[in-house]
Amino acid sequence: MAELEGKRALITGAATGLGRAIAELFVERGASVYLTDINEEGVAETAKELGAAGSSRCDVASASDQEAQFAAAQEAFDGGLNLVVNNAGIEIASILVEQSEEDFDRMMDINIKGVWLGMKYATPHLIANGGGTIVNMSSVAGVGGAPLLGSYCASKAAVIQLTRVAAFELRAHNIRINAVCPAFIDTAMVDRLVAPVEALTGLPFEDLTAMKQGRRGTPAEVAEMTAFLASDDASWTTGSHYVLDNALTAGLL
Amino acid sequence: MGQLDNKVAIVTGAGQGIGKACAEALAAEGAIVVVSDINGDAAAAVSSSLGSGSSFVADASSEADVEALVKHAVDTHGKLDIAVANAGIAHAAPLVAQSLADFRKVTAINLDGVFLVTRFAGPAIAEGGGGTIVNISSITAQAALPLTGSYAAAKAAVVSLTQTAAIELRDAGVRVNAVCPGFIDTQLVQDRKADFEALGLPMPFDDLIAAKQGRYGTAEEVGKLVVFLAGPRSTFSSGTAYVLDGGARASVL
Repeated sequence: MAELEGKRALITGAATGLGRAIAELFVERGASVYLTDINEEGVAETAKELGAAGSSRCDVASASDQEAQFAAAQEAFDGGLNLVVNNAGIEIASILVEQSEEDFDRMMDINIKGVWLGMKYATPHLIANGGGTIVNMSSVAGVGGAPLLGSYCASKAAVIQLTRVAAFELRAHNIRINAVCPAFIDTAMVDRLVAPVEALTGLPFEDLTAMKQGRRGTPAEVAEMTAFLASDDASWTTGSHYVLDNALTAGLL
Repeated sequence: MGQLDNKVAIVTGAGQGIGKACAEALAAEGAIVVVSDINGDAAAAVSSSLGSGSSFVADASSEADVEALVKHAVDTHGKLDIAVANAGIAHAAPLVAQSLADFRKVTAINLDGVFLVTRFAGPAIAEGGGGTIVNISSITAQAALPLTGSYAAAKAAVVSLTQTAAIELRDAGVRVNAVCPGFIDTQLVQDRKADFEALGLPMPFDDLIAAKQGRYGTAEEVGKLVVFLAGPRSTFSSGTAYVLDGGARASVL
């Protein structure tokens, strides 16, 4: 079933992890994809494996890189960009009040400004193409706090707010914008959290996540949620953040 | 090939409106649907148009009826995989000007009815190896609307039941989610337009809807989200209330 037939998607942070999984599923469902990442070689490799329309290096915190990636995608697609996944993001685990100013700023530059720039520079293309859909990668850390992830939590909450306002403002242009909020997913990013969280809390990370969310989610599951929001099946969903956490945030303990 | 081939589903309040659209959407993906409604003729008419499954007369607020509905599904179709707790009513009146009996009429169906589906369908779904429950809540669960106090309170409670059920049933392989639609073009909404306008709105009700949520949503759009949550593409979603509102909740204005 090719439910994303006719979709031409740009996906950021697509060399590995969630971005790659989203690209894989989009291609499987019939979309054309253009992939970007700060890791130029890595994303070129992924693009080749998936048969993408193209790929390029993009530092999402750079306005000129953002502008260039959309121009490049339009050229690769021969026009018609109608789907954008602002997925690129970083985490820097640190006690909030001990985090360096440089790390805090870098987090906000990539995770917040990167999403804002993605919407800003995608919008003229989407409007020119008659509308489209944007999916922004937030996190359950955007709806709840988590130790060692203070600046990350703040950045992901900001993504939800940017999503709301842009969705409302751009609705009349036939642009839908939503956010996805995954819990702990089986990625390298989460692997990197295990040791520091265990050291701080004294609790076994895997047991804790198993109690809270049953198991780690998979990148493919995040891709499915992203694909649903990107599809015409979600034609009346905009300005929302869709949590994907196997009941993590539903519970108190 | 559908996403829900060979799955057996029950939908309460499926004689009209959102319930009917959910039954149709589930059947379109291959599910065998038990169309349940307090209005037997309406249920039978929807069921015969689906061409498979069966219909069953049930008062969603009756413990005996809902127990019998679940038993009917298992006895007739061999198992139960999906339950959509949709049946609902509204009684438009200010909180300070309604009888306890009227208040309880609403909560009996909109809240007790969801509890009863969880109570009886939960174990039946678990018995068959797991599946999903989707509860129809509303954006009134998150923000108030004058004249709908009893309705909104019940819908907020439905989100809470969804959270608890999701955690309690997770190990049994039963995922439980809620859907919170904005204003859908259903009889339930149309019948009350005059009541809302009598409150002294700044503009006609339909214009206010257009300003807040772009347009009325359709029951079919709710059906698509219900299929996503009922099926194999949302395996890491549980305990969450998914808003579907054209951006209504995205802005405080």
